Amino acid sequence: MEQILVNGAILAANYALIALGITLIFSIMNVLNFAHGQMFMLGGLLVYWLVVQIGLPYAAALIGATIIVGVIGMAFEVFFFRQVMRNSTREENTMLLAVGTALLLENAALSLFGEKQRGVPPIVSGVYKLGDAFLPANRAFVFGVSVVLIVAVLLFVNYSRTGRAMRALAQDRTATLLMGVNTARVSTLGFGLGAALAAVAGGLLITVSGVNAGVGTAISTKAFIMIMIGGAGVVSGALLGAVALGFIEAFGYAYLPGSLTYLMIFVALIIFLLIRPQGIMGKPWG
Amino acid sequence: MTLLQVDGVTKQFGGLTAVNNVSFSVEEGQICSVIGPNGAGKSTLFKLISSFLVPTSGQVRFDGAQVSGLKPHVAARMGVVRTFQETTVFKEMTALENVIVAHQLGLQSRTLGVFLGSRLARDENAAIRDSSSEILDYLGLGHVKDERAVNLPHGYLRALGIAIAMAAKPRLLLLDEPFAGMNPDETNRAMEMVQGIRRRGITVLLVEHDMRAVMNISDWIVVISFGSKIAEGKPEAIRADEAVIAAYLGEDDLELGH
Amino acid sequence: MATATDPAPTRGEKRVLGPFLLIFAPLAAVLFVAIPFVLADMPYWLNVVTNACLLSFASLGVWLTFSIGRVNIAQGAFCLIGGYTVGGLTTFGGLSFWLALPFGGAAAALVGYIIGYPLLRLRGIYFAMVTLSLTEAVRLAFLYFGTMVGVTSITSIPSPPGITSPMAFYLFAAALLILGYAGIWRLQSSRTGGVFRSMRQNEELAASIGIDVARYRVFAFTICCFMGGIAGGIFAALQQNVYPQSYTVADSINFMLYCFLGGLEFVLGPIVGTFALVVSFELLRAIQEYQALLYGILMIVVMLFLPNGLLSFFPALKRLSGGRK
Repeated sequence: MEQILVNGAILAANYALIALGITLIFSIMNVLNFAHGQMFMLGGLLVYWLVVQIGLPYAAALIGATIIVGVIGMAFEVFFFRQVMRNSTREENTMLLAVGTALLLENAALSLFGEKQRGVPPIVSGVYKLGDAFLPANRAFVFGVSVVLIVAVLLFVNYSRTGRAMRALAQDRTATLLMGVNTARVSTLGFGLGAALAAVAGGLLITVSGVNAGVGTAISTKAFIMIMIGGAGVVSGALLGAVALGFIEAFGYAYLPGSLTYLMIFVALIIFLLIRPQGIMGKPWG
Repeated sequence: MTLLQVDGVTKQFGGLTAVNNVSFSVEEGQICSVIGPNGAGKSTLFKLISSFLVPTSGQVRFDGAQVSGLKPHVAARMGVVRTFQETTVFKEMTALENVIVAHQLGLQSRTLGVFLGSRLARDENAAIRDSSSEILDYLGLGHVKDERAVNLPHGYLRALGIAIAMAAKPRLLLLDEPFAGMNPDETNRAMEMVQGIRRRGITVLLVEHDMRAVMNISDWIVVISFGSKIAEGKPEAIRADEAVIAAYLGEDDLELGH
Repeated sequence: MATATDPAPTRGEKRVLGPFLLIFAPLAAVLFVAIPFVLADMPYWLNVVTNACLLSFASLGVWLTFSIGRVNIAQGAFCLIGGYTVGGLTTFGGLSFWLALPFGGAAAALVGYIIGYPLLRLRGIYFAMVTLSLTEAVRLAFLYFGTMVGVTSITSIPSPPGITSPMAFYLFAAALLILGYAGIWRLQSSRTGGVFRSMRQNEELAASIGIDVARYRVFAFTICCFMGGIAGGIFAALQQNVYPQSYTVADSINFMLYCFLGGLEFVLGPIVGTFALVVSFELLRAIQEYQALLYGILMIVVMLFLPNGLLSFFPALKRLSGGRK
């Protein structure tokens, strides 16, 4: 039982990074980022490449990969999303563009890294014992870094000037523009930050379970589940969704046969959404 | 004959009472107006009557049958059709297409017949086309019928919204703030339009903030404030009503019909 | 002059028949003359275009849900249901493919009809996300319940009787596609199509004029699911097997992309989109390792420069040659 709770907490912390990123992009840009899982995957594979092929220390590789994917995210916003949003006639267009960028990233990763599962050796070794539960030091490290980053993001969004501008933008784009905020710059930064969060989650998880070029869609699906549970575009909802999914998954893997866990998650989710379409924290229709 | 009977209707959102025990009735052939200061609950009451909201208690009866709690499209089938505020039309269609698609009621041909192009469906399509052109002409939109709605000026969109509702052949037409944001000239034309609709035998219930227009065209006026009915009667009586004057005091546009 | 024997509506019908034949005739010529003639001795490419025909057919269904304003990422699930139904009925039930195929479509349509009512109340990204989840849920359901009864996959599904060559299979798929195209075209140009478009633009306004929005939504979705089930059933017979992973989220996303890249304003859109993507992917095979990457870049380029789909290129061209904006 304790073991399940420990596993659930670690999953929840990592998932929270993913969910925060996708909800940030959604709230600021009103774009459902289908490429989020691919950004996660790219973060992981870049860390692998920088550590194993280039020989950088892990910390430098993690920072490097995060920055690279963050810049890719910003470039996507500037060169793709902004262009399409300017002259799109249907609101579906940005969603489909996001699908296109997902395919682009996945195919780029396939061409660059191949389709093999890649991993990075644990950063720290040893095992802690919490009651009856075993906690490998490396997982504790991943958990710790995730929590620190989550807190940092929350502080940034709530108290920094740029973070407040992002929240204002999420609430009312026109009004924010009138207040003299450079909405284009804030959008770019928000997209970059969201992408960077996905990358850092991938860069952390690759030390635990390994990543391959095809993992993106599955991660995006998990990200969608989390924001559906919590409510799209709400930071508290994203965290709640991550905690819920992390613990449900940990319990499911402990007690249920493999395919049944997610089958039940999906069925429960569909029923839940029919009762509460906007998720737990969300506003109706996002 | 009483066409619409609003009977003790209350609507609560959480702990907030938006509409509190409002009752009134509308006679067939009348133009009846519901007015009130901003935030009085007019919009909520409008949605309750048009079946877009379900009352917490009380009921709305139309021609003797209960309509509150029905789905909006069922209420429309019974003859209660609403318009929307501002410029709610099918933006990507032409004016004519807007009105054609609004002809959904009283049709005999079913989806399969429409799909296979049965004689009945084709005859109906032709009748719909004629009726649509006639409605557009009647509301002064004949010359822009092939213009896409996105390209039409605001004033035309309001009229197009009414044309869409007319296509559903209402017995009771509910107009949501038909004069909002209009200059006096536009208001006059819109008032004529409303009277024209009544001349076609359609009873009109409108919710409005603009007192002047309402005073001139209404047969009966219901005043609500803070969710409750504070007065009802003929325009002259309302103009002189102390409670109404008090309710409207403090409003910027205190203009009781001059 | 409209007389009793020559009523006005026929004129209207003829007006819409013209544009239909303008596209239908060339489409039929390409499908039944050009392709069979050119690819007669190329079984590999014949298989590619057979696939493209069936994928187009399923995408036409997805296009219909686009026309009511829903981004549907569930078509893979209904292909899977159709595939398992046809595979099971022919392999274990001993039924002829031709009898089993309607059941494949009906099973998918039935599931779509039942879950459509509650599901279609969701809109926008919520509908997209929940249908994406549905694809995964159906796949996992076949995996889990298949494991329970000991049959996760169906292999050695018999070929359709009477269809003995790749060319015959292609012609069957092409015939189905052109039938589907004509049907969807007829639907969208009829009064019902107008109702669909009105719902896409404003569901509340549509309800206010007496349109039973929920019923029409489910109607469109059920047709979509039926087409997915039919396509999935034929695929099962073509590939002679069906696995839970025969259709994944990626496949459902692809169906949606085909519609979008072809152009959502055109019934021909899903067909053009599917053929363009399937064929270009095969052509890029020549450059091996960069195939996937170039494919991705190609797609982004189309989205950036033709945001309303490949078919919007032609009106754009017309505007350019006309010299007017």
